[in-house]
This record gives sequence, structure tokens and C-alpha cells, in this order.
Amino acid sequence: MAIRTEELLLNVGPQHPSTHGVFRIVVKIDGEIIKEATPVIGYLHRGTEKLAEDLNYTQIIPYTDRLDYVSAMTNNYVLVSAVERLMQIEVPERAEFLRVIVMELQRIASHLVWWGTYLLDIGAMSPFLFAFRDREIIIDLFNELCGARLTYFYMRVGGVKWDAPDGWIEKVRDFIPYMRERLKVYDDLVSGNEIFLARIKGIGRYDAQTAIDCGLTGANLRCTGVKRDVRKDHPYSVYDRFEFDIPTRTEGDCYARYLVRIEEIKQSLRILEQAVEMFPEGPIMAKLPRVLRPPEGEVYSRVESPRGELGCYLVSKGKDSPYRLKFRRPSFVNLQILPKILVGESITNLITILGATDIVLGEVDA
Amino acid sequence: MGDLLVQPLTWGSFLTFTVMAVLFLLLILGMVTYGIYFERKILGWMQLRPGPNRTGKLGLLQTVADVLKLLIKEDTIPSKADRPLFKIAPAISFVPSFVVLATIPYTDKLYFANLDIGVLYYVALSALSTIGIVLGGWASNNKYALLGGMRSAAQLISYAVPLVISAVGVVLISGTMNMIGIVERQEGWFWNWNFLPQILGFGVFVIAAIAELNRSPFDLPEAESELVAGYHVEYSGFRFAFYMLAEYVYMIAMSALITVLFLGGWHAPAPFLDFIPGIIWFILKFCFMFFFIIWLRGTMPRIRIDQLMSLGWRVLLPLSLANIFITAIVVEIIKAING
Amino acid sequence: MMKGLVKGLGVTLRNLTKKKVTYKYPDEPIKMPNRFRGVQHFDPEKCIVCNQCARICPTNCISLTGKKNPDPESKVKLIIDTFDLNFEICILCDLCTEVCPTEAIVMTNNFELATYSRDELFKDKEWLAANNTNIREENNVSLLKAKRGGAG
Repeated sequence: MAIRTEELLLNVGPQHPSTHGVFRIVVKIDGEIIKEATPVIGYLHRGTEKLAEDLNYTQIIPYTDRLDYVSAMTNNYVLVSAVERLMQIEVPERAEFLRVIVMELQRIASHLVWWGTYLLDIGAMSPFLFAFRDREIIIDLFNELCGARLTYFYMRVGGVKWDAPDGWIEKVRDFIPYMRERLKVYDDLVSGNEIFLARIKGIGRYDAQTAIDCGLTGANLRCTGVKRDVRKDHPYSVYDRFEFDIPTRTEGDCYARYLVRIEEIKQSLRILEQAVEMFPEGPIMAKLPRVLRPPEGEVYSRVESPRGELGCYLVSKGKDSPYRLKFRRPSFVNLQILPKILVGESITNLITILGATDIVLGEVDA
Repeated sequence: MGDLLVQPLTWGSFLTFTVMAVLFLLLILGMVTYGIYFERKILGWMQLRPGPNRTGKLGLLQTVADVLKLLIKEDTIPSKADRPLFKIAPAISFVPSFVVLATIPYTDKLYFANLDIGVLYYVALSALSTIGIVLGGWASNNKYALLGGMRSAAQLISYAVPLVISAVGVVLISGTMNMIGIVERQEGWFWNWNFLPQILGFGVFVIAAIAELNRSPFDLPEAESELVAGYHVEYSGFRFAFYMLAEYVYMIAMSALITVLFLGGWHAPAPFLDFIPGIIWFILKFCFMFFFIIWLRGTMPRIRIDQLMSLGWRVLLPLSLANIFITAIVVEIIKAING
Repeated sequence: MMKGLVKGLGVTLRNLTKKKVTYKYPDEPIKMPNRFRGVQHFDPEKCIVCNQCARICPTNCISLTGKKNPDPESKVKLIIDTFDLNFEICILCDLCTEVCPTEAIVMTNNFELATYSRDELFKDKEWLAANNTNIREENNVSLLKAKRGGAG
């Protein structure tokens, strides 16, 4: 005689410690197994794209900082490079190198935030503090460079605003071996931990075809074996001058995503080493007219942000503010995989899978 | 104390018992206060930060401030919650954890009850606190609380079994369930303490004890980052303080029990250190166990519920059964050798 | 089987003896680097009421009015009458300091803006003029280049 059971409708979020922002999933659970999951977004929508139609290009850049607030430099870059592409501006070399150094440092900082918060979701409290301690060093570097800790507003159309102060490049150079040491400590603390491995291995598995169909990019795609990275496929800025690998794994589960991101930090350190060696002298801003008026046309520029491919589609009608500005936000697209892989998982695994997808709500909602 | 217990009950001795019990309750409350403070300090130091250091000198009044805050908070009861059960659940959770403290011998003179079935009594009572948690989860009328309560029922019941069975190994060696007898058998050097001959039982008991205490890495019932505080999510103010108190008193009771059963109670590690009073040794060993539980909390991630169940039934239970088997064989062999 | 767990326990145990990494704020003030974009400082003497700051502000938080200069000798036609900054929406992006031709509005390194009511967040000319500690050295980058002689 079977016991009568009922399906529960559970609301995970919008106020929840592990949903990384105001994100809500409505799940139908039978005991602890999820039968159906529906993400609900929009709690952080601020209308950036609509506001952009009224502002001129330099005024929009602070708004892009606040999209993916964990990695603001890549957001700045995608907008600035779209306008530069449309206006066919040649950016000076020192500015490009500064941009690359800053974006790679930002990638390390963003992955540290992801690492710390992911382990906090899984239950370990201490790695969160260690990760934020190391991220603090990067943030202090940015503070010295551009005057802000989170919303940098550093890049401008045609270059960057500030030059590196004296001694800044040396500090970046000293940071690289320090971070390599810390990665070893993190390995000791977490990557060999049997409880952690039992929690993560084999969870949230999907194959390469599903990933490509859903439009996933970034570490979520590279964990299935598909080797795509905007920095290698459509090189932008001066990335074609550096030697670095694209880490991929084939299992497609949360553990693969974890390893891919840790390896990405190591590759970023490699790029930083080369960039600091090759750092040229020169101006940091191109010669531009006072008012930026791109010619009529449309352009799509893309960047490899820590979360995936971040794109900016710009339609200009010749005025000093855009006609339409659309951001292809990786977290928004990466969320599409959730309803597919959550069916049949337990609630604990929901948190694990959501954490491994690495979303930032500022980017999901724009 | 022991002599008072075996004499006939008079008004004088009744008064003594009451006063000592009240004093002990106050002492335990004080220990819980500073236990919480030390937990926060130690976790802070492991995470490269100072922990509480602003309220009072060195933050010593932090827990006092916290408890005061909890006392003056509004007592909210969800509108569709089951009111009698909601109110009684924290009390059911708290009472057994305090009662079991009465049976533990702190030194050979200082104890509240000399039960010949001490170990059995302890385990039976500690299982009662499970009811408090399940009731709290059900009565809150909240799906998160319900999930937490159900998880905790499964966890506490399945880990009570290896807990008891690994304690049986100690009973086999000592030949008695009386806690004072168990400690007396462990005198001498520290290798006489039960954790060495019973190393397997010690490991299983410590793991099962941490699972019984709902502490990391087994803290699913109150998984802060998943179920947002699980079974006590709807409790606020003084009722929440009761649950916290229950958890910490039970932690103290369990550390004390492990000290008594496995770490030699009030005995010094070497006979020539006997001039230091037994209570100091008891406190030192107890503090070490407490620190170990906190240390685990700062390091380990959380185990998932199904992995926890399979760990309990498929690993710990066979290990503890094997422990009994091996202990019984060794005891018989030693008896046969000694004639 | 327990090797990974034991290594992790070792890491946390070693951290018990290391130096703490937290700041003792607010007992000790935090020193921000010089380029830090903090609350603005306004010097009414230098302002020529060109309105560039109000036009460039992405959130429209600056409102100012000017009046005729009572001094007929000087070249400056208008002087500043009222200057209000709405700190509810100012994002401290420093575009206003970037475009100001006379460096009348500059940024300081102060960041403590917490008040008890929202009305106090509307700062006027007097408050901004009085906020003159920790002023940033580099404000308008093009003026800076002119000062330094054109070097990048």
C-alpha cells in the first residue's frame, strides 16, 4: 500500500542567502526531489538599456559598471570597444596594455568571489574570508589606479582615463607569485577535501550539445569539452600577443566547472606576467573630437567576461547618444540550462548547481 | 556529594540538592555564554579576523548583549502555526540536554547521580531532544522548516544507532555501565585511557556525536545557506534563544561524555601529575573536545542528506559492530590468558 | 581516505597564529589612495557658471544658478549663486571634475556620507566649500597635462 504524498510548491528566494542576489526559483518538490523548476527574474531590473538612449556615450559607461558589478572592467570595455569599432578609432598601445592588465586582474577577482561564495553555499565558512582577503589586494590595486573599489569607470572611448601611478606595475608584478602561493593553499584547504568532492562530483551534468543549444558560454561551456573562448576565437585588444591556454574538461559536471575556473585563474596570472613584461610607454588616450558622434550603423562587439561571452550591440543614428543599446549578458543566457538540469535533483543539489553556474543578478536583470 | 545521595532524604539534604542544582544551572548558563563567545573568537581567528572585540573589553560581553537582544525581541508566532506545539518544542529540545548533565561525574567526589546504568540513561535521554526539533519543524507551518525538521529526524535517529553501539565497546571493556566505574578503570598513564584500546569506537563515537549535535559538517537541519535556518526559521526572540541554548548545552554535555568515556575523565596523563586536582584535567580535556568541534565547523563543508544517511548506515554502523566483535574477542582472550 | 580533510584542518589551524587582516575602522581611519573618488569639494571663487558639470552628470544630480558679477572689472561675467548636489543619486563618477575648466569642483578622499535623514543629503554650496580636507591632487586630466607640460 503506497503512502499518499503531495507535491510541495517551494519558493527559493528572492530573499535567500544562496541565490546570489534577488533571484527566485519556484520549484515543485516531491519530498526532496525537484519535479519542475521555473526561474523568475526581474527583481533587479533598472532599465539600463532604456536609460542609455538618453545619455551620451561617456555618460553610459558608469551605468555599465553596475551591470555585472563583480567584474566591472569587462563591462566598461565592451561598450567602449563597440563605439571604437563603429568610429574606427585606433587605441594607443599603452592603453591597450593597461586594459588587458586590468581585465585579467578583474577576472581573478571575479573568480575569487565566485570561489568564496560557492564554498559558503556548500557549507564551508572559512574559504570565503580567505578569498575576499586576496581579492582585497586586487581591489586596492584598482583603488590606486582609478579611484574606486567596485565601480571603476576607468575606460573611455579611445583609451583609458588614468595612467598607472608610479610603482603600480611593480605591485602587480609582486602580486603574481603571491597569488600562485595562495592557490596552493586553496588546493590544500578545499580541492582535496573528500566531503567537498562528494558534494560536487557528478552533479549537474550536461553534455556539449545541450550546452551549445542553450547558448552557454564561458566556463559552463568549456567544462563539456567545447573549446571556445572569445579571446582566442575573435581576438580583441592585444590578446593575440600573449601566450595562454584555454582550460577545458570533458565531464560537464560541477566539479569540471570548478576546475576550469581555478585553471582560468592560473592562466590569467600567466597573461599578467607577460603583459607586465611587455608594458610599453606612450599616450593613454587617442585624439578624439570633443563630442563623440559615431557614424550611422550598427556594431556588435564581444568580450570574454569571467561569466561567458559579454556582447554589446549598438545601433547608432549619427547622434551623440545611441539609438539602441543591447547587452548580451552571459548570466542571463546561462540561466537557461537550469530548468533542464534541475529536474530530478534534490534541493541541496539545486544550490550546488546554481552556484556553479556563477550568475550575478545585476547582469541577469540589467 | 555521593554520601548525601545514599542517605535518607531529609529537608536539609533536599535543600542542599536544590541549591546545588540551581547553582549548576547558572554555571551551565555561564558556560554556554562563554562557549558561544569562544566559538566566535576561534572561528574568527581561523579566518584571520579578530572575532567579537567591541562590546566590553575584548568582546567578553558580546553574548550577554546578544542574549539581551533576543530577550527583548517580539515573540512572533505564525498565524497558521500550531500554537501549543510551537511553544512547547523548544522546551522539549532543551530539557533533555540539561538533564543528562546530572549523570556525568566531574571528579570522583563531584557528581549529581550515581546511576548504575549511566550510559544507557544518557543515550535514552539524548534521543528525546529529536522530538523537539521535529515538532519545531512541523509546528512552524513553513515548508523550509518542515524540510529541516524531516532531515533532522532522519539524521538524528540514524546516528543515534552508531553512537550507542560504539559506546557498548567501552562498556564491554569496563564491565559496567556506571560512569564512575568506567572512569576509574582508566587510571594510570594516558595510554590506559579508552581512546587507544577502543580507537575504532572512539572515531565512530566522535563522528556520530557531531552528527547528533547538528554541527558542521552534519548541520543540514539548520543549513544556513540552503534552508535558511531550517527548523528554527520561524522562531524569534526567547524561543530561538532556547534552541540555541539547547544546542550549546548539548555540545557541553557531549564533550563531557566523550571525556568521561574515552579520555579518562579526571585522571592525569601520568601518575606523577596527580597533584593537580582532577577537575582541572577534566576541564582541559573537555575544552580540547569543544575546540575540536569548533575547529571542524570552521573547516569542513556540509555533507548532503543522502550521503549522510549512507555514511551513517553503511559505514559507521558496520564499523561499530565490528568494534564490538573485536572487543569481545579480545576481552575473552585476555580473560582466558589471565586464568 | 581522510587525507584531504586532514590537510584542510591543518590550514585552519595554522591560521590561528597568523596576523589579523582586518582594519580597525572606525577607531583608526582608513587612508585612501590619492585618486580615490570621494565627496566633492566646491570652491565658489573659481566657478564661472559654465554649466558643464550639470550637463555632463549622468544622473542629473547637480543644479546650480548664477548671478551677474557685481564686480564690473573682472572678466568673469557670472558668479555662482546656489550650487546643490543631490547625494541621493550622485554616483561619485567624477565626470563633473573631469570637465570643469577651472577646477572649481574637485573630489576629496572623504567617503563618509551617512546621515540620519534624507534631507541632509542635499548638500549646498556652503557645505561643499567647507569640505576641504584630503583634496585630490589630480582632477581634470587635461589641465594636469597642461601643468605637467604635455607628457602622457
